Amino acid sequence: MITVDKVSKTFHAPHEVKALQDVSCRVAKGEVVVIIGPSGSGKSTLLRCLNRLEHADTGHIYIDGVDILDRKTNINKVRAEVGMVFQSFNLFPHKTVLENVTLAQLVVRKRSPREARDKAMALLEKVGIPDKAAVYPDRLSGGQQQRVAIARALAMDPKVMLFDEPTSALDPEMIGEVLDVMKNLAREGMTMVVVTHEMGFAREVADRVIFMDQGRIVEEGTPEHFFTNPTHNRTKLFLSQIL
Amino acid sequence: MARASQQMTRGAYAFWVMVFFVIVFGVVAALYYATRKVDYVWRWYRVPQYFLYKEKAEVRSEIQGRVQDVVRNGDNVLIRVTGDEQTAQYTVPAKDIRVDAGDTVYPGDVLGVFQRWKVGILMQGLWLTLKVSLISIMLGIVIGLIAGLARISSNPALKWSAVTYVEIIRGSPLLVQIFIWYFVLGTVINTLLAKNGMMQLPPLWYGVASLAFFCGAYVAEIVRAGIQSIHRGQMEAARSLGMSYPQAMRHVILPQALRRILPPLAGQFISLIKDSSLLGIIAVRELTKATREVVTTSLQPFELWFMCALLYLVLTFGLSMFVQYLERRTAVS
Repeated sequence: MITVDKVSKTFHAPHEVKALQDVSCRVAKGEVVVIIGPSGSGKSTLLRCLNRLEHADTGHIYIDGVDILDRKTNINKVRAEVGMVFQSFNLFPHKTVLENVTLAQLVVRKRSPREARDKAMALLEKVGIPDKAAVYPDRLSGGQQQRVAIARALAMDPKVMLFDEPTSALDPEMIGEVLDVMKNLAREGMTMVVVTHEMGFAREVADRVIFMDQGRIVEEGTPEHFFTNPTHNRTKLFLSQIL
Repeated sequence: MARASQQMTRGAYAFWVMVFFVIVFGVVAALYYATRKVDYVWRWYRVPQYFLYKEKAEVRSEIQGRVQDVVRNGDNVLIRVTGDEQTAQYTVPAKDIRVDAGDTVYPGDVLGVFQRWKVGILMQGLWLTLKVSLISIMLGIVIGLIAGLARISSNPALKWSAVTYVEIIRGSPLLVQIFIWYFVLGTVINTLLAKNGMMQLPPLWYGVASLAFFCGAYVAEIVRAGIQSIHRGQMEAARSLGMSYPQAMRHVILPQALRRILPPLAGQFISLIKDSSLLGIIAVRELTKATREVVTTSLQPFELWFMCALLYLVLTFGLSMFVQYLERRTAVS
């Protein structure tokens, strides 16, 4: 489903940072991959490269067989197939919850208002907040906002979902509700790439865990391998610091 | 919310409200005292005629002949005049009829006199100022929006064009711009139009164009700042859903930005209404030019300039209220 081939990315401003160095990995259809690593390790950059919010300098990235770094690729088409959930939710504050979920359906997918509405209501039902359809996002708690953001991404019927630290901005008591939605999604067979610090989630849901440090993939493997006997010292150190 | 940093007891609050009214009263009283001190005869009663006045109108015969009959028809009177070769009919309000049936009239003879209300020159000026300002504001919004979007584009041709436009227009006097629009561009355009056998454009159009482009430069900067004040995440969220840049702008960024820039836009538009007073130099008779004309004929500068200022205040205050209404209406929940 996703193939990343020797991707590098350097940020020049405000000072030069090699965010990604020769990163290669694959994500199969229906697989849940969790990327972990210390801050500044390039995990968010890698995720953002997958739908070209960041443009990789060198290498190739294929989503469902399409080379997204190719000049001729219509990136908007690719992005419509790749859902993304952000750390800070980024809901549209001038639109109601329902409008947040229907907007891209109407504008990008050209669905009829009725169809978009039905789809949106079904998804709000799924993430557990159909009763908030008519309110504006600033009336919702962080957990509710993030669930709306997930519904908004799912409304496009994406083939892949990317999660960029979806629970990092939440109060502790709200993390559970968002993780539950994500677990359900994984169970339904959605292909997911998740950047997170929730080790419990990684252990329980992930098919594979990727550990990154200083712009490189240091180690990857199944959760059991990863949490019980990691091979690299850097991984051991990181796990000892956070567990 | 507004006074979170400053708590005040009710009594203190009432006291300071009082202080405000005392200040207002004091200023008004001082102004009044000053007007008494000036060696000037105030004749406010002569001002209303420049808004609305009664005009005396005469109906005169155009032919030579005999008045055939004078027939009352409600409030009007129908006068028929029969000449040697032709006949004519005149309808005159019945108040003051100067002829009877059988009279002989010559061309130019007065058949009847009546009075009618006419709109005065100040009222006409006020209307023209309002019209010019509103059209310029609307065009200015369009120009400003385009220039503002070009300003943040990554395309150097668009970006640098926008920067050049904004810097030149903001950095030069409006007076000079109006001159250039009318006497340079206007001459060229009108000559071209004349060569192709088309109508000349009146000075008003060039005035509107100069004001619109002037206003547009400021609006462009306001729009740019408004767009840039919207969090980057909004654009990323919209784009990640598959929206194109224009779609994201239209549905996500601009609606939020426009709401945010309403207050500075209001200030800009108020400024524009007052700037329209410069159009008098290209013979557009807006409020200021109208006032100047009345002052030369009536020799009552004080009343008329006060009145002129007051009328501008009415326009700007109205606009200000309208924008505040928009702000309230577009406020989220």
